[in-house]
Amino acid sequence: MAAVASEVELVNISINGVALQVPKGELIVESVKRLGLEIPIFCYHPRMKPVGMCRMCLVEVGFPGPDGNIRKMPKPQAGCTLPASEGMAIFTDTEQIHRDRKGVLEFLLVNHPLDCPICDRGGECPLQNNTLFYGPSTSRFLELKRHLPKAFPLSKYVTLDLERCIQCGRCVRFTEEISGDSQLAFRFRGASMQPSTFELTDFESKFSGNVIEICPVGALTNREYRFRARPWDLETKPAICTVCSNGCNIWFDHRAGRMVRTNGRTNEAINEEWTCDRGKFGHEFYNDSNRVKHVMVRNGDALVESDWPTAYDAIRMAFAEGGNRVAALTGPSNSNEDLYLLKKLFQTRFNSNNFDSRWTTYLPTAEDDLQKKMGVSMVQNTIADFESMSKVFIFGSSLADELPILFLRVRKGWFNNGNKVVVASDKPTDADSFAAEVLRYRTGTESTLASGLLALAVEKGLAQVPDATRQSLSKYTAEHVSDETGVSVDALHRAVELVAGAGIITSHGIFNTSQPQDTVETLAGLAMTTNGSFNCYALGANDQGALDMGVVPFGGGMDTHSILQGCIDGTVKALWLVGCDPFELHPDYDLVEKALENVHFLVVMADHQNGAVPFASVLLPETAPAEQDGTFTNMERRVQRMPQVLAAKGSAKPAWRVFSELAIRIQPETPPFGPADCMKEIAESIPSYAVADYANLGGEGVLIR
Amino acid sequence: MSELIQVGAPNQRPKAPRADELNLRFSPTAISELEALKTHYPDLKSCVLPGLWIAQREYGGSLNGEAIAEVAHRLERSYAEVEGVATFYSMYNTHHDVGRHKIEVCTCLSCHVNGAYRIWDYLKSKLGVGNKETTPDGMFTLEEVECLDACDRAPLLQIGDQYVGPVTEADIDRILADLRSKSDSTVVQMADEIVKVHLRDGNK
Repeated sequence: MAAVASEVELVNISINGVALQVPKGELIVESVKRLGLEIPIFCYHPRMKPVGMCRMCLVEVGFPGPDGNIRKMPKPQAGCTLPASEGMAIFTDTEQIHRDRKGVLEFLLVNHPLDCPICDRGGECPLQNNTLFYGPSTSRFLELKRHLPKAFPLSKYVTLDLERCIQCGRCVRFTEEISGDSQLAFRFRGASMQPSTFELTDFESKFSGNVIEICPVGALTNREYRFRARPWDLETKPAICTVCSNGCNIWFDHRAGRMVRTNGRTNEAINEEWTCDRGKFGHEFYNDSNRVKHVMVRNGDALVESDWPTAYDAIRMAFAEGGNRVAALTGPSNSNEDLYLLKKLFQTRFNSNNFDSRWTTYLPTAEDDLQKKMGVSMVQNTIADFESMSKVFIFGSSLADELPILFLRVRKGWFNNGNKVVVASDKPTDADSFAAEVLRYRTGTESTLASGLLALAVEKGLAQVPDATRQSLSKYTAEHVSDETGVSVDALHRAVELVAGAGIITSHGIFNTSQPQDTVETLAGLAMTTNGSFNCYALGANDQGALDMGVVPFGGGMDTHSILQGCIDGTVKALWLVGCDPFELHPDYDLVEKALENVHFLVVMADHQNGAVPFASVLLPETAPAEQDGTFTNMERRVQRMPQVLAAKGSAKPAWRVFSELAIRIQPETPPFGPADCMKEIAESIPSYAVADYANLGGEGVLIR
Repeated sequence: MSELIQVGAPNQRPKAPRADELNLRFSPTAISELEALKTHYPDLKSCVLPGLWIAQREYGGSLNGEAIAEVAHRLERSYAEVEGVATFYSMYNTHHDVGRHKIEVCTCLSCHVNGAYRIWDYLKSKLGVGNKETTPDGMFTLEEVECLDACDRAPLLQIGDQYVGPVTEADIDRILADLRSKSDSTVVQMADEIVKVHLRDGNK
């Protein structure tokens, strides 16, 4: 970055008489921020291209004349479209500008309804704020305001109120520039101009929630949040989204113990300020009526309410045998502390390595580890890396569904820097729209396609491989691969140029395909031999953390499939399900059902009722992610702390506390007194986590390598 | 804007048609014309305006949702984007289905002082329709427009791609009779002329 910065040409400008140097071409609306000043804005958004639609950011501009005096342009200029140039003198605080701002706001308020008392945006509305600071106190407009239908349901999530729209175009530009689905456009013109979808059909976007946040008025509102609270009644706490493995930073708004809404929180390293709909609207379960609140113990056919000591005793008895007779399976959203103490409990108290956090069809074994086998790490790039990476290869993943925020970053790289993206997928994906090359292969031929690309790269001299590998690749001629996969030979030839040296993105979803280990190894090899980088990203909120904590049976234990199989044939007597619903997670429904029916003792630890609860011998209430302090490791291996936001429901406890309490009942020791203590222990025993400490996990989090 | 009514429950909102649900109506000629026009521009986005003119011709003079969706599909744009373009320009007939002939009456200053409203009222009573309305037989659409840039011929009408003016009540009787006897739609003919101009411009 430093090298780039030094190449940028600086120009001398002055703002309100203060001289400063800014990069040539920087927009004035950004330059004034360097002095701590502010220009009121509506349509300008730092992450989108300026359009100069609202005229709110007017400034007076002048240049020195031959006599050395500043000669002002006759008319004010829009600061959001004005690039800085040598000698420019900007005035943001003159009487003229104050009058102009008043005029602009008076015009905006001609048609904007003054329904602030019932508007969701009231209290956090840029129009309200700007009017208060810069606007006229009264209106001279006596005529009727424009009347349009209100509360139009644009989609399941977004409500459109056209009367309030000030036609800034932020939402339209968001769908064009950021999310790329171009679902919104301005229809009609002049005073009747309205942002809407094609013929007012459903607003189908994976990122529609963002337009609610960037709307500077209450024209686009959140259907879930509508009329549920006023902003000043809300308590807002920073949190981490636990819906997928991106680990987006969010503001968690709650009121009287209820989750009310979530908004994007800026973290330049991860989500910038965006959220996906799955995350933004995926926190409703905190308020669900089916939350597990009390300890239940089986008595005959029924689960009856009980207490923690009874449950601990029952679990101690059932798990006493230990070794291969007991097992645990974990879900995607347990914190690192939970997972670490679970592993410790099983290893030190039950003498067992039977625990697994993975639910894919193929479960890589200890021998499959790429690090040991090839010296290649499964995660080499951060999300932000993909912005500047000139070549990106997305393999076998519908990125917008699996890792939505990474998708936005890859798209941003293409949109701003013209990065070349190659998509290989068996189904149409959202990334196809901007891909330089799309390889649509037949399902099940992933490994052939990967080998074909590597073989072609070798043939073209793009990759150097040992002779043995060259031999084994010889059967993957372009024609053969094309026959098998259905990808044309031409497309393979075009793609291989872009794939060589590219940043490869694939996800753990690849382990649900056939021959995934071959595919992964070939792709890793392709990256290694062409100076590219390889990434196989985790999908669950803390799946990467579970791998890092070692909640995998590599110490000689059984994996997920053999644990479930063991439940059926009676080798596993007691099973502990930690925050997971195997019916949802495991690909084989019947296997799960048989396993849960047959296992002698089943502990279900859950934050809400799930499919496994009816089979439980003991049901333990677990706190949901935002109800406990804990750390999560996202798919780029960034450890972030999620402080407790809500109080625990009923007698629910964080999982780590349960494991620690049970451990001291079996064999006394000094327990960790809080999650920070757990993290200290983690940092001591897992070398890569040595840098993680509760004191420095705020901000952008800590990247583990 | 009156179309902004509540359309069903929020979870059962009408969905935009998928690419395979579109009823594509461009004739082979229209497709080849569009292909030729695509080569005139660096990217497909630039081809939206001529594409809409082809659609206006192919869909009988007006652009409904299907026409807009077809243009968007053929030019790989989003439906909303093309609809935004089409509804912006007044010469694309997106607001209403037009008749076979669209009579546009200029009522700006020069025409106004030369009796444009006399002509306008006469046309309204003669056809029995108001502004932006079509006669029940689908023959005429009446529209009041802003300056047509031919003040020397005020009061002025535009019918298809032809200017007629100055006009009197007697002229109007004759014009209407002429138009009634015409078998071709002047609206479609105008769209066709504009497509031809676009095609020719690229061959300079």
